[in-house]
Amino acid sequence: MDENALIEGLARSDPRAFRELVERYKKKVFYLALDMAGNPIDAEDISQEVFLKVYRSFATFKRGAKIGSWLYRVTYNASIDHLRRKGAAPEPVGDEVLEARGREAAGLPRGGAMDPAAAVESSQLQARITRALEKVSPQEKAVFLLRHYDDLMLKDIAATLGLSIGSVKSYLFRAVRKLQKELGGPAAISGVEASHD
Amino acid sequence: MISCRASKDRMIEALYGELDRAEKERFDDHLRSCPECASEYSALGATLKLMDKRERPDPGPEFWDGYWDRLSRRMLWEATDEGRSPSLAARFVRVFSRLPRWSLQAAGAAALLLVGILIGSRLINPSGEGAGVETATVSAPSGAVAQAANYIERSKVLLLGLVNHDPATEDAYAFDLGGKKAMSRELAAQAPAIRGALNERGQKRLRDLVSDLEIIMMQIANLESGQDVEGVELIKQGVDRRGIFLKIDLDRMGRDARGAVDPASATGETKLPRKNKI
Repeated sequence: MDENALIEGLARSDPRAFRELVERYKKKVFYLALDMAGNPIDAEDISQEVFLKVYRSFATFKRGAKIGSWLYRVTYNASIDHLRRKGAAPEPVGDEVLEARGREAAGLPRGGAMDPAAAVESSQLQARITRALEKVSPQEKAVFLLRHYDDLMLKDIAATLGLSIGSVKSYLFRAVRKLQKELGGPAAISGVEASHD
Repeated sequence: MISCRASKDRMIEALYGELDRAEKERFDDHLRSCPECASEYSALGATLKLMDKRERPDPGPEFWDGYWDRLSRRMLWEATDEGRSPSLAARFVRVFSRLPRWSLQAAGAAALLLVGILIGSRLINPSGEGAGVETATVSAPSGAVAQAANYIERSKVLLLGLVNHDPATEDAYAFDLGGKKAMSRELAAQAPAIRGALNERGQKRLRDLVSDLEIIMMQIANLESGQDVEGVELIKQGVDRRGIFLKIDLDRMGRDARGAVDPASATGETKLPRKNKI
């Protein structure tokens, strides 16, 4: 089903189209919610709210817009609402939990049996990155995540989040500066080449 | 040649490759002549390289395979909640919130006066004879109400078994989810006939309670085979959120007050849930 057929199906309240939408976008929606909320239970709750909203109010979708961008926007708003309800920032997580998550993320066993040195290094890096992202504001984080991991162009992020290009650039610049500060600056980033593009 | 300020303004676009060729050349020219901007550009680039190494934990195939089922269950819950007419309490609150303050004060004064008259009449004539206060007639429960009461009690027993189960401390095999699913299928199948028979005025609340229980029975019947801890937890939350045990107890108190036959009284009291919050 191509995007136009999907939109037509959703406009007719076709259950197959809705199922297709969920299957196609559940990972993108879940991962943005996870990055914003910080834990998988809240992320699933937010992602379900997003799809329920789409199901109930597809009439508010503007024809000609990209459905993926609209879903990102709904997810972003749902995540911000969730953070406000919970008191702005995700609950702080201990180093041990972060390192355990890092091991899982790096696909390493919990005991780190494959290569202990690599496992420790990898899980510590993941924990540092997670900690650094916690220092970035929700708006800055959303812009950074969409640009860096979802590969949206700056103008698309602006359209998705309803911001000006200038605001998007400003949020992104601040996010990267904060990440640089938290990760220890260039001297601490060993083994990483300086040029990016 | 661009200034340091203009260079900073273009740094993000340069890092993400969003500058056109001419802009990029001007930006690179500036970096060659400005060690400070070059250093900052290099540091930000290194940070982005590091962020490339970030891995997000994958919840695993079971999570993704069950995603649609969990979403559709939630949709079922929310659809039934929205479709239901507002409760009596909600309507009461809504009506009273629209009334002006003076009318509430006047109503309160009238209620106090009425209570005073009633107490006075009791004090003057304690036997109640000739006091002009009618005593309520106790009506026998209809067959439909008794059937509904029996249905509610059987559903309650099933729900108590479900909500009191703690997978962390109890034997999974003793839980017998298969047996509960079979019983809930049977109860779900019986519900439409019971609801249909509750067609008299004043039976709406009872009918709504049977409807609530019917949906929960359908949920239990549709649990995954095995233990389906997540599904059971969702049902527990739904029972809690909708105040099912409170509604059951209120219904029973109402029937007791009207002198209805209590089908559970012959077998003794049913155990209350172990936890206040499910």
